[in-house]
Amino acid sequence: MIHARGVSRRYGAHVALHETDFDLDGGELVALVGPNGAGKSTLLSMLAGALEPSTGSVERRVATGWAPQRPSLYTRLTPSENVELFARLAGTRAAGLDLPDRPAADLSVGQRQRLNLALAFLGEPRALLLDEPTAALDDDRRSELWQRVAGLCADGGAVVFATQLQEETKRADRVVHLHAGHVE
Amino acid sequence: MLRRSPLLLAVLVSYPLLIALLLALVAGYANAKPRVAFVDDDNLPETVEIGGRTFHIERTIHRVSDDVVLVPLDRDEAEQQLRNGKVVAIVRVPAGFIAQLKAMQRSPQVELETTRGLLASRVTQQMQALVYSLNRELQDAFIDANLEYVDLILHGGQGTFLGRRFDVLGLERAENRVRDPEVREFIEVAQLALDQTDDALEATANPIELKINPAGGRTWALSAQVQAHALALVTTFLAAVLAAAALAAERDERVIQRLARGLASLGEVLGSKVALAALVAGLLGLGVAVAFGVAVEVAGVEGGEPWSRVPVLFPALLLAGGVAGALGALVATLARDARSATLVAVLVVLPVVFIGIVPREAAPAAGWVSDALPFAHEVRLFDALLYETSPWRTALVEAAWLVAIGVVLVAGARALMRRLTA
Repeated sequence: MIHARGVSRRYGAHVALHETDFDLDGGELVALVGPNGAGKSTLLSMLAGALEPSTGSVERRVATGWAPQRPSLYTRLTPSENVELFARLAGTRAAGLDLPDRPAADLSVGQRQRLNLALAFLGEPRALLLDEPTAALDDDRRSELWQRVAGLCADGGAVVFATQLQEETKRADRVVHLHAGHVE
Repeated sequence: MLRRSPLLLAVLVSYPLLIALLLALVAGYANAKPRVAFVDDDNLPETVEIGGRTFHIERTIHRVSDDVVLVPLDRDEAEQQLRNGKVVAIVRVPAGFIAQLKAMQRSPQVELETTRGLLASRVTQQMQALVYSLNRELQDAFIDANLEYVDLILHGGQGTFLGRRFDVLGLERAENRVRDPEVREFIEVAQLALDQTDDALEATANPIELKINPAGGRTWALSAQVQAHALALVTTFLAAVLAAAALAAERDERVIQRLARGLASLGEVLGSKVALAALVAGLLGLGVAVAFGVAVEVAGVEGGEPWSRVPVLFPALLLAGGVAGALGALVATLARDARSATLVAVLVVLPVVFIGIVPREAAPAAGWVSDALPFAHEVRLFDALLYETSPWRTALVEAAWLVAIGVVLVAGARALMRRLTA
């Protein structure tokens, strides 16, 4: 579904991710683990097409949803306005949201994360790239999220998620360890 | 922090110096010579002989030009420029001026028509001073001429008066020939001369009269220049800051990364910011133009507001807003966040505006730099569209400049847009 060849990312003299190959196939649930600054978010951003690789290339063969670690949304718009705007840009239908009707800037961290995830699920993507998706979510929302993820994988879709939590890696079919910009 | 960023340190030191320099140049502009229309309805010759003395018209005009810029114009054009505020006064030499001056019968008039502003009072004072010094010179010539008449009356001889030549007997010779016909003619001429004595003496005392017409035209605050500058200022500041803030805010919120995933290309993101800046600047600029128009109508300013030109102004405002928006977008691609982008946009626009106000006469180099920036072109474009009789050539040239500058700015911003997704 997603194939990366020789992707790396450099910020001036600092190399955030050394040349890496990565493949994601249908039905897979892959966990990216590693300490802070290991390159997990950089790899996910490049797989999502949100960040240009310094070298290499990424091929995405299916519609891909992306939830970055820091929510990427218009903070002056309400949740429904955000969803409607991105749905319109993506040429898809906006799903209903159970979130307060006030600017995203005024939402709690958890509510913003839910909106972030809702944007990732827009357009019913076949592949999902989730960067620490359960951070700030309560237990109910976490189980709701994992149910959706499991359902997608069971349906032939694929999910890559970055996490710091050991227990979450147990859900994965495959665990990829990153350290100082290298895949181990 | 400053040690780590020598560029920031250099900017902090050089920026106030740049602003101070530009302020000095602009302040110098306040003392610049006002433009005064010179309407010559008498086709003044290069020189004129009065009372046996030769006066150089050219030199006299040059003397005035030390204090004001005299612009030779025909009467209609001068009236129009006075209404628009492009000249602060009209000096008119009426037909028959030189003939009247030579005849010395009564004072010919130089007409002065001014606006109401501060510059106009300066022009009035300068014209009064000029006429005073001219009169001093003419007095000498006239007194010499009058003394010749007195001498003629006393001693006799050939003389000219009111264009007629006379053989004058003179009082000395007339004493012995009281019943002589020549004496009778002399008496007739003497009576005629005496009849004119009052006017002649008045003319001698005040050879040229300065007739100051009641103030017409626009006040300075409602002049064409002020309106054009106000419009350019509003569009440049607003559009540049708005585009910079909007683009940088999208980076702060990391929305650009989401958009760049195929929802909108970076070019489309940039284009949308430039279009937003253009639209907002266009609408606000239109509001400013209408507000000026209302003020002009309420104040009963001569010439009124050129309402028919206001709709033509809208596309020009859109263009100017778009170019300033591109400048703001370029700033946003270089700044680290929305707050610094907004601040840097203001700091960039300030000298762009100042350098556009500095007249070329004050600093030619400023004029060259200004040509590469949008502000001065915006001013000339708005000025032409609102107030020039035939605005299209100027408008096309200035619009072409703005398009060229806009293309360069957009290309620069587009090349740096990748920084926003990093």
